[in-house]
Amino acid sequence: MIINLLSRAITMSTPLFFGSVSEVVAERSGVMVTAIEGIFLLGAWGGFVGTYLWGNAIFGLLLAMICGIAVAAIYGVVTIFMKQHQVVTGTALNILAIGFCAFFQRVLFGIPQIPLQIQPLSVIPIPILSEIPVLGELFFNKNILTYVAYVIIPIIHYMLYHTSLGLAIRSSGENPQAADVAGINVNRLRFLTVLFAGMMGGIAGAFYSVGFLGMFTTNMIGGRGWIAFAICFLGNWQITGAVIGTFVFGLAEALAIYMQSIGGGGFFPNELFIAFPYILTIVLTVMRRNFSVPANLGIPYIKEG
Amino acid sequence: MKRILNATWRDMVLTNFAAIVAGIVLSGALLLFLGIDPIFVFSTSIRAILTDGYTAADILLKATPLIMTALAFAFTYKANLFNIGAQGQFYMGAIAAIWLSLELQNRIPTALLLLIVLIGALAAGALIGGLIGFLKARFDSNEFLVSMMSSYVVLALMNYLLRTFLKETKGEYPQTDPIARSAWLPNLIKGTRLHYGFIISVLFAVLIWVLLYKTTLGFRIRAVGQNSRASALSGISPTKIYVIAFLISGALAGVAGFTEMNGVQHMLIQDFNPEMGAAGLGIAILANANPIGIIFASILYGALNVIGTQMGRIPGANVPSSIVSLMQGFVMLFVIMAYYARTKIASRREKNKRKREAALS
Repeated sequence: MIINLLSRAITMSTPLFFGSVSEVVAERSGVMVTAIEGIFLLGAWGGFVGTYLWGNAIFGLLLAMICGIAVAAIYGVVTIFMKQHQVVTGTALNILAIGFCAFFQRVLFGIPQIPLQIQPLSVIPIPILSEIPVLGELFFNKNILTYVAYVIIPIIHYMLYHTSLGLAIRSSGENPQAADVAGINVNRLRFLTVLFAGMMGGIAGAFYSVGFLGMFTTNMIGGRGWIAFAICFLGNWQITGAVIGTFVFGLAEALAIYMQSIGGGGFFPNELFIAFPYILTIVLTVMRRNFSVPANLGIPYIKEG
Repeated sequence: MKRILNATWRDMVLTNFAAIVAGIVLSGALLLFLGIDPIFVFSTSIRAILTDGYTAADILLKATPLIMTALAFAFTYKANLFNIGAQGQFYMGAIAAIWLSLELQNRIPTALLLLIVLIGALAAGALIGGLIGFLKARFDSNEFLVSMMSSYVVLALMNYLLRTFLKETKGEYPQTDPIARSAWLPNLIKGTRLHYGFIISVLFAVLIWVLLYKTTLGFRIRAVGQNSRASALSGISPTKIYVIAFLISGALAGVAGFTEMNGVQHMLIQDFNPEMGAAGLGIAILANANPIGIIFASILYGALNVIGTQMGRIPGANVPSSIVSLMQGFVMLFVIMAYYARTKIASRREKNKRKREAALS
């Protein structure tokens, strides 16, 4: 049972990995991607539409990435180049995303008699590795997106801390004036990290529709984008912190699903388990001290002169 | 000096107007995807509003709770704090309002009941808001995240209560019993749904304006918002201000729960009005967090809402309800862009002025 729970935790962590790790990259460059909830939602929708219309999850994932990048591009233009408030812009885009998805769902599919279904991504056991007792079930019996996460996270970690690109990103968030003097185009770099977060957030959203449920509703993200956003804070703007935080939330979500399936043991109401990840966020936010916030997080960079 | 002030006013009106029109036109154009003639549905629904008092009054009805949630956001915004959890505080107010109404109805006179319910809803919202403010003041925890997450927790609490203690006597759906007529907020205009809640909301807006701009507390709140370190040095305790600002903010959102329960819905239903908090934020931004401006911006949002619903009622047109959030989202986005346009216009004006002065000398 515990192995089952942990295995499910890793599955449920997958979208949060994509969301929180890319949020870390964007925030280290100085931009909070507060449109993340809308990016997730549009990713979920794009993933569903692509898969349904072209019958192949690859197209779904591609469309999800494009949708995520599109939201991120609007967000980036308004917050970075027009220098408008990040929280406010994000909220506007999150509302717009709900209306947009509901509207174009109707444009494409009308009002279907029965809910539209797609085949969720299948589990691909990795030969040999999946045979290993315990570890095989935990790590190597997942769908493709989880494997992508395994590969991409170390790459992002390496990029952020051990390459000149990573240094440029981190200095844009810490001291944009100095970065500018060193010849880095701060705003362009920030815009690119936001687009990157859009792409990754799109995949994250697609996980819920294409990878997991095989359907789409406008309330299916239900604050998961915000949780990824919170994990970035709680993980202290570090990739490793985000990975640990993601796993904790994946576990919370797996536990919630498990407790609901056994009826809460009869004593605790289901709603408590639904609220559990959100309560956990509040508790961790309150407990967490000594953040090392990127010094220029959320502050638009205005070139002197 | 006066000319510049007039010019900025004119910019504000013109750019915001352009943003609103652009948002509506763009959403209307999207209707073409559904093969709907946007000019026909817009003109039909606007005609319905102009000719039918019931529908016209619905605009103010829809604006009523929005004024409160927008005030809730604006109030903390003035202290440079973010209360993203107005939705949860609104739900909390609604829970308190419906529970108190069901307990007290037909036992005490209507006026007394409504007063108690108003205070109850206000206190319930203030409880959640105050908790967020306390966590911010005591533990310096990020109020943006905590308030955001609190909404989801309150939503779960509401669903729990609707399934258990507050469930209707028939026991069929997750909703409460309807409250008795004697516990309703009285009608403001006969033959419409508009109720006294609108007056209450407007009064609160005026009250908040006075509080912010005419009292020492308001001055302190705005001082903390402008520079918390400087105001701490001058003897204002920012932590105290955090708690007070969030208490009041939560209370305002809680009142919206009261006006919706006792004025409109008369019962608590699962998942009702899910966009109240986010729409309030949009309105506060549109009004530049000015309490009086919020009244008018809320009426605009109410109008968009009623136009959308009216379109949905046109027989054979099949306009989806998502047109409302499309319009609201686009308007909000363009209003944000209008801020940018204004700074551009202002800086160009400044440059021209300097050029003129240079040419003169």
